[in-house]
Amino acid sequence: MEMRCVLRVEGLSYTYSRDLVALRDVEFEVYSGEVVTVLGPNGAGKTTLLKCILRLLEPRGVVYINGKRRWDELSSRELAKYFGYVPQTHHSIFAYRVLDFILMGRAPHHTMFSLPSRRDYEKVHEVAKLLGIEDLLERSITELSGGQMQLVLIARALVQEAKVLLLDEPTAHLDIVNSVRVLSVVRKLVKSGRVDAAIMAMHDPVLAASFSDKVLLMSRGRVVACGSPRDVLRPEVLREVYGVDFVRFEHCGFVVVVPRASTEV
Amino acid sequence: MRKLVPKLFVSFSLPLAILISLLLGHYRTDPKTVLEVVLSAVFPHLIHSPPETVRVIVLLYRAPRAIAAAITGAVLAVSGAALQSMLRNPLVDTYILGIASGAGFGAALAIAFLPPTVPVELVAFCFSLIAFMLAFVLAWSWGRGGVIALVLSGVIVNAFFSAALALVKYLAPDPHRLASIVFWLMGDIGQAAFWYKIMRMLAISLPCILVIWFMRWRLNVLSLGDEEARALGVNPTVERGLLTAICALMTSATVAYTGIIGWVGLLVPHIVRLMLGTDNRVVVTYSIVFGATYMVLADDLARCLTSEELPIGVLTTIMGAPLYIYLLRRASGVWR
Repeated sequence: MEMRCVLRVEGLSYTYSRDLVALRDVEFEVYSGEVVTVLGPNGAGKTTLLKCILRLLEPRGVVYINGKRRWDELSSRELAKYFGYVPQTHHSIFAYRVLDFILMGRAPHHTMFSLPSRRDYEKVHEVAKLLGIEDLLERSITELSGGQMQLVLIARALVQEAKVLLLDEPTAHLDIVNSVRVLSVVRKLVKSGRVDAAIMAMHDPVLAASFSDKVLLMSRGRVVACGSPRDVLRPEVLREVYGVDFVRFEHCGFVVVVPRASTEV
Repeated sequence: MRKLVPKLFVSFSLPLAILISLLLGHYRTDPKTVLEVVLSAVFPHLIHSPPETVRVIVLLYRAPRAIAAAITGAVLAVSGAALQSMLRNPLVDTYILGIASGAGFGAALAIAFLPPTVPVELVAFCFSLIAFMLAFVLAWSWGRGGVIALVLSGVIVNAFFSAALALVKYLAPDPHRLASIVFWLMGDIGQAAFWYKIMRMLAISLPCILVIWFMRWRLNVLSLGDEEARALGVNPTVERGLLTAICALMTSATVAYTGIIGWVGLLVPHIVRLMLGTDNRVVVTYSIVFGATYMVLADDLARCLTSEELPIGVLTTIMGAPLYIYLLRRASGVWR
């Protein structure tokens, strides 16, 4: 597959208040077909980075989409057709039916006054089938488990017809089985060309190692290292960022990093 | 179509409720005569006209009253439904925006101190809009129109105008005017039951209801919260501002005529959600219909429960509170 630059971030900085700098000069590129993990401990600026790319926050710096267009030239509706945001979880006030909830992802394709059409419903069913969640469509979103909710949120981003998925800690509330399921779905979506790329914020280097093509390691708002999991996930680098000792194994071309229990008290 | 039976039930209950209220009252009539009156009013050449007494009673007293009740109910319910979604809070209605206390203050001011040539409803309308604008400006000045900012500003403005209202009551020059203020505050559909007043109410509320109805699916997206709405390409502050202003405008226009009628905007959307689900395409539509029905029936009770007329605002609140408790107990699965 031809590698196309779908996203280029240049000099992105964001400050919450005068002395709380969340992002400093972040630069990286994402190519089509890549699953990118933004990795780092809590407070490293992962979520802030995603929100800046989505323009939910107003950062300094530029993001080029498709390698050339500045993202601040696009309307929020156009931007919503390019980036699909998958929040960590959704705190629902109203018990929407899963079908109606996913359908809301069609909002960027509508004006203020228009209603979803048959085509929009077909899109929802098509995506639900793709993700294997057809049996959930009639359920209420308040009845879903964490893993199901995550898949429903991904489905909503897919009916947006977004080119790039941005996932904020997709596995934060999930057990290992569901984590693997959700991450496999994301990987499959990218590798099958359904979406151009996916960027996930994660704090767990173990999962990041096995599910991503590129790791962006962050610490205190800065990019510490960026590259393939093999290059980035080295015990000495991880120790510097997390303050924890890691052991690294390689097996069948996969890199596995495991935190070592500390013997110090 | 999902839940067709309850939808049909709600839809047919409105004309039925209106028909019932045309029948009820001291002057006895039968359904056939009432139907003849209504049909002869619509097709004057086809139906021979029934006795003049019945005609006058039905067309000039009961019909405008039922229609005024229906409009009031629809306005209160639909704005309650919209605000609950936009503010992501099932416990609010339009009165949270300071409208009721503003209108109450305006009406009290007009009754107590202004000459009788100044229409009470005009002053009430102006002050309820002033109260809303104060809350709105306040919310924008310190909270950029966010959800919490709107609710808190509304609470502040409400408190201010409630105090001002108490002051007007305290200073009211004579007990008759004080009594009029108290009656106004308890709500009375009869005040609005004239065709010319109905036309004025409709002129404002009909376009407003239509705008909200056309934006009913958008309300779903707005109820997701600002961050997710923006990620879906929607500007929540602008659209919420527009919709709140519309809700405030039409609520002011009805409350100015009818006085303060509580709990309808809070309760009706809840009942609709329990019956038909939470999708706002359904909730908005059927809140309009069911709000109208609910208010028409409540007004029938207010007129006919006792030999004296009961204040409608008191009745809706007394009916509403136990009904609400019952709903909340049943609805533990809907709200989390």
